Amino acid sequence: MSATTASRDVPGIYHKAGSLRSERRWAMWWAYVSLIVAAIIFLAPPFYMLLTSFKTNAEIADHSLNPWWIRAPTIEHYAAILSNPIFIRFFINSVIVTGCVVVLTMVISVLAAFALARMRFWGSQVLATGVFLTYLVPDTLLFIPLYQIVGGLGLLNSIWGLVLVYPTLTVPFCTWIMIGYFASIPKELDEAALIDGANWMQMLMKIFVPVAMPGIIAATIFAFTVSWAAFVYPTAFVTTAEQMPLTIGVVSQLVRGDTFAWGQIMAGALMAALPPVIIYAFLMDYYIAGLTAGATKG
Amino acid sequence: MAADGSLAVSAASGTGRASSLERFARRRSTIAFLMTLPLLVVVIGLVGYPAAYGIYLSTLNRRMTGFMEGDWLPTGLGNFEILFDSDTFWMVVWQSCIFAISAVLLKALIGFWLAHMLHHIPTKGQRKWRGMLLVPWVIPPALSTLGWWWMFDPSYSSINWILNIFAVPAVPWLGEPWWARASVIIVNVWYGAPFFMIMYLAALKSVPEQLYEAAAIDGATSWQRLRYVTLPMMANIISITVLFSLIVTFANYDIVRVLTNGGPRDLTHVFASYAFQVGILSSNIPRGAAVSLFMFPILAVCAFFVLRGVTRRNKEQM
Amino acid sequence: MSRNGITRRNVLRNGAGVVAAGALSAPMVHAQGTGGTLRCGFWDHWVPAGNGIMRELCAEWGRANRVEVNVEFITSVGNQNLLTINAQAQSRSGHDILSFPTWEPAAKHELLEPMDDVMGRLAQKYGEVTPAAEYLGKVGGKWVAVPAVSGTQLKPSCTRFDLMQQHAGLDMRAMWPAKAERGPGADGWTWEAFAAAAEKCKAAGVPFGLPMGQFSDAVDWVGGLLTSYGANMMDARGNPTIRNNAKLRQAVEMLVRISRALPDDVWAWDDASNNRALISGRSALVFNPPSAWAVAKRDQPQVAENCWYAPCPAGPEGAYVGYLPYFWGIWSFSRMKPAAKGLIEFLSERPQAERQTNTSSGYDIPPFLSMSDFRIWETEGPPTGFAYNYPVKPHQNQKTSVAFAPAPAEFAVQAYNNGLNTKLIARIVQGGESIDQAMGWVERELNTIRRGG
Repeated sequence: MSATTASRDVPGIYHKAGSLRSERRWAMWWAYVSLIVAAIIFLAPPFYMLLTSFKTNAEIADHSLNPWWIRAPTIEHYAAILSNPIFIRFFINSVIVTGCVVVLTMVISVLAAFALARMRFWGSQVLATGVFLTYLVPDTLLFIPLYQIVGGLGLLNSIWGLVLVYPTLTVPFCTWIMIGYFASIPKELDEAALIDGANWMQMLMKIFVPVAMPGIIAATIFAFTVSWAAFVYPTAFVTTAEQMPLTIGVVSQLVRGDTFAWGQIMAGALMAALPPVIIYAFLMDYYIAGLTAGATKG
Repeated sequence: MAADGSLAVSAASGTGRASSLERFARRRSTIAFLMTLPLLVVVIGLVGYPAAYGIYLSTLNRRMTGFMEGDWLPTGLGNFEILFDSDTFWMVVWQSCIFAISAVLLKALIGFWLAHMLHHIPTKGQRKWRGMLLVPWVIPPALSTLGWWWMFDPSYSSINWILNIFAVPAVPWLGEPWWARASVIIVNVWYGAPFFMIMYLAALKSVPEQLYEAAAIDGATSWQRLRYVTLPMMANIISITVLFSLIVTFANYDIVRVLTNGGPRDLTHVFASYAFQVGILSSNIPRGAAVSLFMFPILAVCAFFVLRGVTRRNKEQM
Repeated sequence: MSRNGITRRNVLRNGAGVVAAGALSAPMVHAQGTGGTLRCGFWDHWVPAGNGIMRELCAEWGRANRVEVNVEFITSVGNQNLLTINAQAQSRSGHDILSFPTWEPAAKHELLEPMDDVMGRLAQKYGEVTPAAEYLGKVGGKWVAVPAVSGTQLKPSCTRFDLMQQHAGLDMRAMWPAKAERGPGADGWTWEAFAAAAEKCKAAGVPFGLPMGQFSDAVDWVGGLLTSYGANMMDARGNPTIRNNAKLRQAVEMLVRISRALPDDVWAWDDASNNRALISGRSALVFNPPSAWAVAKRDQPQVAENCWYAPCPAGPEGAYVGYLPYFWGIWSFSRMKPAAKGLIEFLSERPQAERQTNTSSGYDIPPFLSMSDFRIWETEGPPTGFAYNYPVKPHQNQKTSVAFAPAPAEFAVQAYNNGLNTKLIARIVQGGESIDQAMGWVERELNTIRRGG
């Protein structure tokens, strides 16, 4: 429907080019059809998860029913999971780990990015490249030596072990986008500040941080989503339920031999996915800015 | 204000300039070093050192009491030798390549297509569609894969239920090797295509409108516009995104872990899941380290090209 | 208290160390306990009520002995329990008591506290232990872990007697009635007959739900079949016995035949898939302990009412049922050894063992032969007595089998965790290889394991 209104909006001067207009209208239809199909496919799994999470166990187990519909919605799975102390424990662990990692990451990367972008010093160029290369190192390459190292420190099965290793996932990228943001701030600004007698720290806090706020928000969102969703490290390093963060907790503790825990698994997975989705819903533009900054700025 | 400030610099610091600048520089580098120190700690302590330690680990024997003997390779390379001799390992290499290449290609194509379609519709509606289509990327993949797993379940597959409506026989999603591989790829594409879409959409928006107008005046068809305007303008972004994704996809772990755990009979294992299986689950840490080290050359090649693309892009922008 | 071999002073001394060391990480030290905290990681039970009884028993023992017992349940889904065992062995820290499946105690024996004292006292009271459990739990003549009640399971045939009657013409209830005798046709319950029934049931759309993946349900039943043909893959000295092994070939041929009569995707089934197949009503037979029945009783009662246990079919060398024992072991780095031993001994005693078995609907198989007379297997239902033939009983002429026995534990554990026996069949049936090619492959894999060990 919006397609027709859109094509009607085309100004009258183009009436001569009738073929062009019809071509455009076709393109528009085609675009909407593709987008609708894509949206259906993209949203089907979360939708199905939502549906399953509201079904009773008997309904999930019943073969004769349409799996894509729901007869008697129930919130028993959500009630069960929210009253499950271990799930609350996962949630708290995730919050602690993510909170610590985000703060740590932002402090490390803002400081370092400022120094690398503004205070050219011996080796700064090499280091900037090094940071970028570090970002390209996937977590699965190093988890086995890290397993030994974390084990040697006595931090296996502890959320603090995760706080220690997660920065490898977040710091390089955040530093990298912050370098980009800081580099785009005009040089004149800091010179002015230096004249006013500001030291480097004041300059960073009073000028750079406020001006680069969008970048900082984008980097924070990135650090948050990455540490919330981290999977390899907690799978390898944490095996006691009470120290698990949500992702691995849901995957390893809710999937039980008890066959029809599916409603609960789906409810747990959806609730675990909620914080990043909420952040995304409210800060979509920052989220996307952070995502694209990786390539547009470097 | 900035202009005023810079003027003031040259005016005010006429005298004693050299000495203060000297001190300034000395202080500046010290401060800069202190500011980058935490970053250095992370990079060296948590990436550099583990990498070196990983190489050392891979030379040890299972109990880590000494170096791993080899039959035809020198002592210390025994783990690599065993991997070279193992059918399963070569299968994993092959599967990782199939998985990464086909998933990245599909992601890039679908992402490109959707970005194009999004670019076509009125700007008003773009935000809404973009918001919806990015949802798969936002949900932590380990959790959304649980949903897929349930959709692929042999007895309760809701996808097969839909197929049955169209009289298509049920598909053994995770049971038959090729279907299982396809399932892993499907989930990865589902998760990653939105990312490509967003990247390409940003790139499409940065292509100057005049170029298209000029092409239209020359009577270019839409295919020609795509071929001679859009693609060249986006070439760098496309290559960076593809290489980036190649790295991430190649090293993927969570989807395989949740969906198939490597089965049926190791035919969906990729490097990461196999390293996990060998190193941590079967507690042969050195051999697991050796498996994941095999990822390194491939990743290094990708990283080299990404870096080249990125620097080239930075130069263009300057 | 002293009955369980611990003195109060011992507990106190050990407890104090834990309180001091655990101050950082253990918020569960309550005022009520003065003996410290004993941390247990038990197997997460598949029968919904199975965890509750463990918690209850531990709380009872803890109250009596003034020790705070902290119980955690670790699932075997996705091999989470193996991951836990390895991580704790690696970091030399974790639970005091941990549940170890099949080959793990022997593979980790260097890190386990010897349990000869506990086993000695228990054996005095209850006599002999199931030979397979003794074989797995003893290293060099010493017990390294105590065979557990909770979680220890057998994998005989759990049949849908209605579907078997209708499609395969076999009356399972008549063949294996709920009393100590073999009914008519029981002697014909061989792998040949089994394969024929599987083919009929597949044709009728209710194929047998036998997993062929790499998890224990699959590895155990395939191991049982191999043993019943007298076939093994590695001898006690660690030499592969693949080449020119006529018995192995015969068994493989039978496995190939059976697996062609299974659903197409059994190669990816995990330990829950067969349960789901039975519960969904789409399968006429699974090899499983009564957890599938217990869940069906809750969610699909009409399925549960038609379940009936029969032993495993017999091969040329007898009938062997897949046996998956769990063991309660104590890490040598535990600081609560006397208390841990006390709790394990308490859990293994007949009254407590019976409570575990009863609560788990008869799922848990106690290790002592003298305990195979629990009433629960005769009374549990509906249908009443369906589990009579679940445990091993003399009239069945059935023995327990451990997959990859008699290979040395350090090799067997790898072959087991990798599911080499099911992969061998999968290569033939699904991968289209010839039996010789697949046997060559498995021999190479076994040699690789040997070299790496």
